[in-house]
Amino acid sequence: MNAGRLRADVAGRIADVLAGAAAPLTDVYVGWTAAHEAATCPARYRGQGEDGWGFPGWSPVLAAGACGRAALAHHIARADLTRRPPPMPVPLVAIRTWMQALRSPPEPGRPAEERSSVGDWVRETWEAGDTATLAAVAATAGRWLAGFVRVLGWPLPPQFTLLNAPGPAAVPSLRWHPDKASPVTVACGADARMGRVTGAGGFALAVHRVSTGDDGALRERAAFESAAGALAIGVPPASVLVTAGDTGERVTLPVDEDLLAQGAERIVGVVTQRAVAVERGFDPADATPSAACRHCDRLADCPPGQGWLAAAGRWRGGLPVLSVLPPG
Amino acid sequence: MLGDVLAAELCPPSPHGLVSLRTELDSAARAAAAIGGWTEDEPLRLSKHLVTGLLRCPRRALNEDHGPSDDVVVGLVVDAVAKLATVSPRRTVTVDAALAFLSALGDSTVADHLAARGSGARQVRAEAAARIEQLAAAWPVIDPAWWPRVEEPVRVALAGGAVTVAGRLDVLLGGPPTGRPAVVVEVKGGRWYDGMRADGHLYALMLALRDGEVPAAAVTVVSDGTTQVEPMRAALLQHAAERLDEAMGIAARVAAGEPPAMSPGAHCQHCPVRPDCPAGQQPQLVAAARDMAAQLQPESR
Repeated sequence: MNAGRLRADVAGRIADVLAGAAAPLTDVYVGWTAAHEAATCPARYRGQGEDGWGFPGWSPVLAAGACGRAALAHHIARADLTRRPPPMPVPLVAIRTWMQALRSPPEPGRPAEERSSVGDWVRETWEAGDTATLAAVAATAGRWLAGFVRVLGWPLPPQFTLLNAPGPAAVPSLRWHPDKASPVTVACGADARMGRVTGAGGFALAVHRVSTGDDGALRERAAFESAAGALAIGVPPASVLVTAGDTGERVTLPVDEDLLAQGAERIVGVVTQRAVAVERGFDPADATPSAACRHCDRLADCPPGQGWLAAAGRWRGGLPVLSVLPPG
Repeated sequence: MLGDVLAAELCPPSPHGLVSLRTELDSAARAAAAIGGWTEDEPLRLSKHLVTGLLRCPRRALNEDHGPSDDVVVGLVVDAVAKLATVSPRRTVTVDAALAFLSALGDSTVADHLAARGSGARQVRAEAAARIEQLAAAWPVIDPAWWPRVEEPVRVALAGGAVTVAGRLDVLLGGPPTGRPAVVVEVKGGRWYDGMRADGHLYALMLALRDGEVPAAAVTVVSDGTTQVEPMRAALLQHAAERLDEAMGIAARVAAGEPPAMSPGAHCQHCPVRPDCPAGQQPQLVAAARDMAAQLQPESR
């Protein structure tokens, strides 16, 4: 499937969903988190309100990847100015150097920092004197960067470009709108691109996770990011490299028609659930109980979730949880 | 001291035996999964706490957690102090600084516990302040070239994913791709006892299986001033693997329906389910186990 056909297909299906909604939808953000939640438990996703998943604002945990990428982009850009290959970054030093650059006017010979949402947040945090949050950012972003370099290797692969990062050494964001008036934004969350974008494809997207999910989620993630990437870039990637810091694994999934179709399904699924949310809101009849019920805000209103916890949920991580033991 | 360890020349053991160690563990995990009924989709998920818990007292390990005790909360504060001192070495570490750091990381366990304790929170905070004093004074400024990482996640999948062993190292220094040997640092908030060593051994094993290189040392830093440094060697990895094998076997029998065994010991003193536990209610058993632990401890240190 070429990207033009994919764009037309997804835009058409989204337009149908929007047209059939009980009320107009506003600001539908379709990223991996929304796609995963809408697919794994539609009731839970809709239970977050008619606006669906909203960006809760930056926090050290949420900003780990964005800060890690920004710091790495800054590190590479500084090296580019010297026309030498960048040395392997020392994570905490790279994070601190980037943070200091955010607060300083650009010096001659140093790369100008492009504005970024996460950079603005870090600068404001610094100006507010919130050193605990800055230390937490150093911890989480340093861990992300260390894992990224460990798993991808150094020097980075040829024709490597950071995505969703600010600065001259990266591509700031990968977004796609079905049309100019559409309330829908599809966001590709890939961390990097390897290879040049040509009409024939040939490039790969890299997605780095600090921790693994199960393998089902891995394929789901690759499907979503390949489709979102194809929509945003205009050319489908040849493959998606999904890495994990905790296991050190690198899994390459070739992008084919099936994977793109699966990703497109997830994208349309988010918009569909938002349309249902306008009409019905949270409805436990659509719940898909799982271990996620343990932390769900809607558990008190969800009989299927409560039922699952009382039965299968009594098993945790493959072992029974004993709350009341028989005597003897 | 940790600073001395990092200043010394560290020689990690050869990774030569790692392949056979993984093969042995895989084989043990397959055997356990056949009994426990775990699959890649519904695996056994082991953590360091569960491994230790299953070996110590399966009944306690499988009981539902009803929230942290004062001791656990103090331990969390001590942990946070070490992590904060690692990533922000110039900062003065206090209980308040640790609480702010935890809050920034989205972990409200300590704050929630202190809020629920009401006036008793003052005592908990005082205890935490006393315990972090020695640790903070002894914590070195770590050269960033060690790539200090806190809460480093590590996961090993066995038997094709039917058994996973996962954890987060308190502090990891060095290791691939830094060019320096890895040093595993575990931080403990209580008083030293010999059983604390096992956590560092397990993490060293997991890291070795993940990275293909054996860490040079496992260091356990305790808030009572003890620093236990253990250069890693093949025998320690083998021992950690045997503990893991044994834990998988116990888990398999429980998953297959066998009632979890009750193993009274010194741990009964702090066990939240002791009032409902027949074995834990027999004071002579608990006392005998405590005495035995006390006798063994000096020799094993």
